[in-house]
Amino acid sequence: MSDQILLTTTVGSFGKPEYLQKARNANARGKLGGPELNELERKATEEWIRRQERLDLDILVDGEMYRGDMVAYFAERLEGFRIGGLVRSYGNRYYHKPIIASKVARPKPMTVDWFRFTQSLTDRPVKGMLTGPYTMLDWSYNEAYKTRRDAALALAEVVRQEAEDLQAAGARYIQIDEPAIHARPEEIDIAIEAMGVVTQNLDAKTISHICYGDFAAIYPKVLELPVDQLDLAMANYEYRWLELFDKNPFTKELAIGIVDVHSHETETVATAAEGIRKGLRYVSKERLLPHPDCGLKTRTVEESEEKCRVVVEATKVVRKELARQAAPA
Amino acid sequence: MKTTVIGAYPKISDEHQDLRRALHRHDRGELEADGLAAVLDESTRWAIGELDWAGIDVINDGQVRWDDMLAPFARAWNGCDRGPLERFYDNNTYFRQPVITGPITTQGTTLVRDFEFARREARGELKAAVCGPLTFATLAEDSHYRSLEDRTLAVADAIAAEIRGLGKAGATLVDVEEPALVAHPEHFALARAAIERLAAAGVPLALQTYFFPADPLLDALAAFPVAQIGIDVRSRETHVLEKLNTVRQTVVLGIVDARNTRVETETELVGLIETALKRIPADYLWLAPTTGLEYLPHDVAVQKLKALVGAVHAIGGVKA
Repeated sequence: MSDQILLTTTVGSFGKPEYLQKARNANARGKLGGPELNELERKATEEWIRRQERLDLDILVDGEMYRGDMVAYFAERLEGFRIGGLVRSYGNRYYHKPIIASKVARPKPMTVDWFRFTQSLTDRPVKGMLTGPYTMLDWSYNEAYKTRRDAALALAEVVRQEAEDLQAAGARYIQIDEPAIHARPEEIDIAIEAMGVVTQNLDAKTISHICYGDFAAIYPKVLELPVDQLDLAMANYEYRWLELFDKNPFTKELAIGIVDVHSHETETVATAAEGIRKGLRYVSKERLLPHPDCGLKTRTVEESEEKCRVVVEATKVVRKELARQAAPA
Repeated sequence: MKTTVIGAYPKISDEHQDLRRALHRHDRGELEADGLAAVLDESTRWAIGELDWAGIDVINDGQVRWDDMLAPFARAWNGCDRGPLERFYDNNTYFRQPVITGPITTQGTTLVRDFEFARREARGELKAAVCGPLTFATLAEDSHYRSLEDRTLAVADAIAAEIRGLGKAGATLVDVEEPALVAHPEHFALARAAIERLAAAGVPLALQTYFFPADPLLDALAAFPVAQIGIDVRSRETHVLEKLNTVRQTVVLGIVDARNTRVETETELVGLIETALKRIPADYLWLAPTTGLEYLPHDVAVQKLKALVGAVHAIGGVKA
């Protein structure tokens, strides 16, 4: 850990190596068995742990080598869900949108073995990574519950069970992502209530990642989301959300996105460092965590690595500046 | 009473994935533009065939060529580029944000070729569709026009030109898809000024609102110069059914939820239709899905069409 200031981290997913993508395709076509695929997922996870250590990131993730879609992964493991036909998300991209067909239940832990495995590979902390109940609801079809609130609260219960199991397995950081939280700003109370169910018994540091939507529509109300840290895309939005903090001060830890994830090119270290300085105007160095805007799963391994490298280098530049300022004259 | 559809139809099904494969091959440089165009035509033919076969009275072309509702216009117009991906309202579906870089101009022929193709393929009545000006203007990024008002009216002029082009090609009804009107009811006066410019093109218009309740606008909608008003009664809580008599135009009632896989029962749909018929005469009522069926997997979209047509038949709707 680097002096406990400006701790660097990432949002969760990384690019999958080509051998794993091929293996996943082969598995989907029934040409590669589950155990063989699992072996390659573990190999890719370990490679990403080593890369993160080499890059000198402070708080690590497993990189989600074993996940495709962040909602479907859980939907496939929960009772009550059915996986529907293909639906287009944009361009020529399709996904199997889950259907909440009956009451949801968690037959067994879904991510705990992966957490244990990944944490066993490193001395640095690894985050437990979950999808939040409101996003699970919003990105599924709800056939089973009368209201969206009923569905969100039922999902919150299964996410709570998973989060508590992650904590029991040793997770010191648990991230519960809610990228859909601003899909319907009028429902923010439902998202807050559901998150309260998830985090009520947790002592671990809790984090929620929010991206790609109108953050202004839910600010400052989103500060009531019961988590310790909000994790926000900022570079893609030219840091415009920071201006909201002028009127209503930001009260949580802020994981700040300082490199865009949807472009092949990465910002320079100088540009990324400027992003951190912008964040420091609103949040103290102890409570500001630089990272890329979002998960890196749409990028190649090399691009993912480059974006993380820029985050770490930019952070080191700013840490040095802060040390100089703090040094006695 | 007639049945109709709004917006995009699923472009592929589990069995029919030609277009998805062709687009992949095109991206990889393995399929030329001509080859892709042929597959797009074939997929359009397939979508039209399905809508006809389902017994929908007035169909569209399924918008198979549209990446998103703004794409055909953002691609074709001068002064407009396509920017980053953004979420399309409260859907987990994304669109490329148009970026306005200069004065918007168009020849007004953007949709003509596709409309003419679809008309040759359709068995029955075919309508065209355009993006609503307020929707385009509120979703675009703009470094040229000085205000939302200037931007919306400039977009309206370009869309009016497209509607004129469609009219010359034989279109007799054009859907104006305008979710922004109900998403931002505070802009209704601006939306109306924009729609007036569209109406001046001389082709009957159907103003399709969806995703959000039309309740706060119901009185105002009566003054819009359009032949039809589309109203979504499923996406959110609404009391419009009890107040439909304030609408003077034909109402296109979105009674089948195009964003949920649960297929409505006949009783449920017949109940909604009967409630509407207490307020407006059958001649002034069309029935539709709430929005584009592309938000659903193909198999469910087909079941939804069946439910819609079945309910209208059950109540004794007159076939076109």
